Amino acid sequence: MISHSQPAHHVCVAILAILSAVATSPLVLAEDEYFDYERDHWAFVLPEDFPVPSCALGDHKNWPRTSIDAFVLAQQLDRELGPSPEADRTTLIRRLTFQMTGLPPSPEEVDAFVNDERPNAYERLVDRLLANPRYGEHWGQHWLDVVRYAETEGFEYDRHRPGAWRFRDYVIQSLNEDKPYDQFVREQIAGDELNPNDHGSLAAAGFHRLGPIRRNAGNAEVAFSRNEVLTERTDAIGAAFLAVTVGCARCHDHMFDPIRQTDYYRLQAFLASTFEHNVELASDAEKSEWEARSKVVEAEVNEIKSRLKTAAAEDEERILCELKAAQAKTPAPLQTISSIKHDPAQRTPIHLLDRGDPNKKLDHLTMRPLGVLLPEGAEGYPDDLSTPRTHLAEWITDAKNPLTARVIVNRLWQYHFGTGLVGTTNDFGVNGDAPTHPALLDYLANQLVEYEWRWKPIHRMILLSSTYRQTSSLNPVYQEIDPNNRWLSRFTRRRLAAQEIRDAMLTVGGTINFKAGGPSVVAPVDQELIDLLYKPSQWAVTPDEREHHRRSIYLIAKRNLRLPFMEVFDQPDLQTSCARRESSTHSPQALEMLNGELSSELAEAFAERLERDASSVAGDQVRLAYRLVAGREPSDKELLLSTAFLREQSLCEFALAMFNLNAFLYVE
Amino acid sequence: MLGRRSFLKGSFCGIGSLALASLLRDEELRGATRNPLAPKPPHIPSAKAKSVIFLFMAGGPSHIETFDPKPLLDKLDGQSRPASFGDAKYQFVESDAKLLGCRRTFQQYGESGLAVSDLFKQTAECIDDIAVIRSCHGHKVVHSAAQYELLTGRTVPGFPSMGSWSVFGLGSESDSLPAYVVMPDPDGALEAGQPMYTNGFLPAIYQPTMFRPGATPVRNLDLPGGISLAERRKTVELIRQLNEANLASNDDEFAARISAYELAFKMQTEAPEVFDLSDESQNTLSLYGVGQEPTNDYARRCLLARRLVEKGVRFSVVVSGGGPGNKQWDAHKNIEENHLRMAAQVDQPIAGLLKDLKQRGMLDSTLVIWGGEFGRSPEAQGGKGRDHHNLGFTMWMAGGGVRGGQAIGATDEIGLRAVESRHHFRDIHTTILHLLGLDQDQLTYRHLGREERLTEIQGEVIKGIADV
Repeated sequence: MISHSQPAHHVCVAILAILSAVATSPLVLAEDEYFDYERDHWAFVLPEDFPVPSCALGDHKNWPRTSIDAFVLAQQLDRELGPSPEADRTTLIRRLTFQMTGLPPSPEEVDAFVNDERPNAYERLVDRLLANPRYGEHWGQHWLDVVRYAETEGFEYDRHRPGAWRFRDYVIQSLNEDKPYDQFVREQIAGDELNPNDHGSLAAAGFHRLGPIRRNAGNAEVAFSRNEVLTERTDAIGAAFLAVTVGCARCHDHMFDPIRQTDYYRLQAFLASTFEHNVELASDAEKSEWEARSKVVEAEVNEIKSRLKTAAAEDEERILCELKAAQAKTPAPLQTISSIKHDPAQRTPIHLLDRGDPNKKLDHLTMRPLGVLLPEGAEGYPDDLSTPRTHLAEWITDAKNPLTARVIVNRLWQYHFGTGLVGTTNDFGVNGDAPTHPALLDYLANQLVEYEWRWKPIHRMILLSSTYRQTSSLNPVYQEIDPNNRWLSRFTRRRLAAQEIRDAMLTVGGTINFKAGGPSVVAPVDQELIDLLYKPSQWAVTPDEREHHRRSIYLIAKRNLRLPFMEVFDQPDLQTSCARRESSTHSPQALEMLNGELSSELAEAFAERLERDASSVAGDQVRLAYRLVAGREPSDKELLLSTAFLREQSLCEFALAMFNLNAFLYVE
Repeated sequence: MLGRRSFLKGSFCGIGSLALASLLRDEELRGATRNPLAPKPPHIPSAKAKSVIFLFMAGGPSHIETFDPKPLLDKLDGQSRPASFGDAKYQFVESDAKLLGCRRTFQQYGESGLAVSDLFKQTAECIDDIAVIRSCHGHKVVHSAAQYELLTGRTVPGFPSMGSWSVFGLGSESDSLPAYVVMPDPDGALEAGQPMYTNGFLPAIYQPTMFRPGATPVRNLDLPGGISLAERRKTVELIRQLNEANLASNDDEFAARISAYELAFKMQTEAPEVFDLSDESQNTLSLYGVGQEPTNDYARRCLLARRLVEKGVRFSVVVSGGGPGNKQWDAHKNIEENHLRMAAQVDQPIAGLLKDLKQRGMLDSTLVIWGGEFGRSPEAQGGKGRDHHNLGFTMWMAGGGVRGGQAIGATDEIGLRAVESRHHFRDIHTTILHLLGLDQDQLTYRHLGREERLTEIQGEVIKGIADV
């Protein structure tokens, strides 16, 4: 049952879809009337309080450690499946450490855990990892994927947003302090309205600006561009917080879900008075100095531009070079928060748009959340609401919103097990997957609210479960019945994500720089790729080389230039919300890992470390290498093959080979 | 799961390399695997095109100066646009601009007698193989958005390009080269940047390989300094042995990883031969214009495109134009100066490519497409230039089953608006897919709750363009 100790929010919705039971079902529906079956879709009904299954667990009655296990086992037994044995400790610590911190465990940590004879050794490990500040850096990346985080505007100019990195730091910090998720959501949707003087909240509200935005020279199509912005922002809210594909209803009623076209624009109306706002943090003195320097540059640039206008075609290139040089002198941007503001004076009147065309306005619409989750005939808000996004945020985070808690626990589950209980983590609609374990999903959603929307208790519950501790080895019988492991009869092995591979290579080579937070690092990359930028000067490599070895989450997220290393290992394209990363296998990955500059450089560092930290006996070097990359000792065969290789080949080539092992790139 | 036999067929068709054969020993250990890029049969078995070469004229070439003669426009030179032609919105040009006549001369070519301007005299010799589509239109009049639409069907970034969709639909015929290649103009980047070419939300195996200028176009094919191929062979061998030491017999994914390393090694040894043009005859080099200016660079890339097609590469983009606007077809300032210069770089290479493909019997299975993100305005910009123009412009297609020697559709008498058989980019995309044997409705991928396709909402196959 949902905890009622939560303060009740005064939102327009107190009673939700449950009301539908009394609704009549006319044959022709008005815009905001719904058929019962529309309101009864599982995701639009409040999570139920299902009893934890307790009987008929048969041979496995000692297996469940937690309620999660009871839910999982009951469904396994229904399908003649059962759990797999628990993985060994070396596997478990590697699995846990990568999953909670995005980094490999050190050999010392592995030894300590394997030899820890206390009965609660596993619980201690879980608690240590949950308290590790590397947790926020790793799970923060998951959230950044979901909210289409990038620091540049995309399209042709791909301008860098000043202070955009503060959103990333806000996320990391929020996760590390286990900020309640409802607060986390409210701050991102309406931080500027709620805490106008708090830098963290202002950075959080930068959420609305994370997407790509088109700017162009010449005749601006003002209405069209504004519509593009509102569309992008509305879709992001639907995908990230509600897992509803509202975007499908921009041009017509949703094809599958009970989302009317009016719903789309009424949701958009909450953003009608939202505009970009750069909050400057500089002192007056800093500001005036900056302005003076900027003026000088501006004058020079204008002078060159005026010459360019009258220049003969053959002089053009030379003058363009001059222009570039002058523009490069532009002083670095002032300390800024990339945020937004509520500006009623500029408000865009919201209309239903025929086929989504901003030139074809139909009825004026007021702001209102999704009708299918409201009582029949619910009114909207007036246009002059002073804190529109706060109202939206409160509706989203109301404990009686049937989507929000389910959507986030499902994401957490996906990052733990590889696939969500609802496979389509960004789509809880009719066309999305149905939950494999509806009772468990509801149980977790209710637990989240009970634990004041904090993630860490949910992580802990999952990590302590027997379900989580299973081995990833295939059981041929179960494999036949459930090839995709939807019923969790084993742990699903996974390849490390792009940023984990890079961070792990830095870690085992001993050159990682754990500096946290601050402006993003621009790492060196092939000049040919920089030349492919419309403005190559934007890629200004961070001068301090130690910065280049910071964790990947601190590398600049630039839409028009992604690092080839990250790209080849399925980094999302940074344009739209990414619910789940692909994990593809192809030869350019092999070429990157064998011949790429990053792997060559880091293999060298790794070889140096092996030389330094192990004796000069080849067998010792091989043992240390395996302990670092695979978290375990090499088998006899591995040892034999490796030492034979080292008799003829260099330690550096051996180190490179280690980075290419499945034992390194995969977590069992 | 595929059996071992089909694995071999799938991922190593045309196997013959000794290096690979030796890498494949102990194959019993490996069991089966699946190559996600294995060739797939088309939806339409009678389709002829197997590969696509897109000659991307970036910046927006004028239809008026090239393939769409407009005598009335010449007569109205210097006058305001008659109101009867309707309104248009440009990026820079205001409504008071005057019409600009064309200074080029047009001549009829081939049996079909289609008129082509003197900017494309040599390409015109192939006109009987070319279907000129004079009635193209797009949604956007600014570069980045229009480039996204041309390549991906959407005016915003984040969607897969037609190259990625083609490989997604048909897989790769090449075991030593990437399936989808973009050869940018060494003069610099375009407004929409790399996101216009990418795989969007499709898995990374469908991403383009961006070729670099110079002798080694593919990243990471060169060994790091100080390492010999023989040494690296041993390292790759060690990786295979160590990975196989823990391999279960039914482990598809790990087997796929092992084969990825083998393919990578093959790519490394065989791809450089494809990039080396020295085995081409002097006749061929001269046909394209290799070794002479101003054609050398584009000619080399066109010739490379043919060599890639021979090796089974599915989709190549050969870009003309890059860097600042005037180094593209973006003739705001002076249409004559810009287009004379740009066309001189590409006319012979394009003609050379078409003739070469034809004489080698490859034109039937290779679809060649020419065009940019839009055309140019009938109105003058600043007296001698032309602004962007998306309401009516020309693209053309040749080969791959296209019936040449025909003009499809028409713009009005001043080239302002496509008025007959209008074709939006989505029709161009539908047609490309169709010629490759792909059905737009079957070629879908689920993203954010939608079954996405290249053509967003349905496009039409251009009528009469081919017999398929």
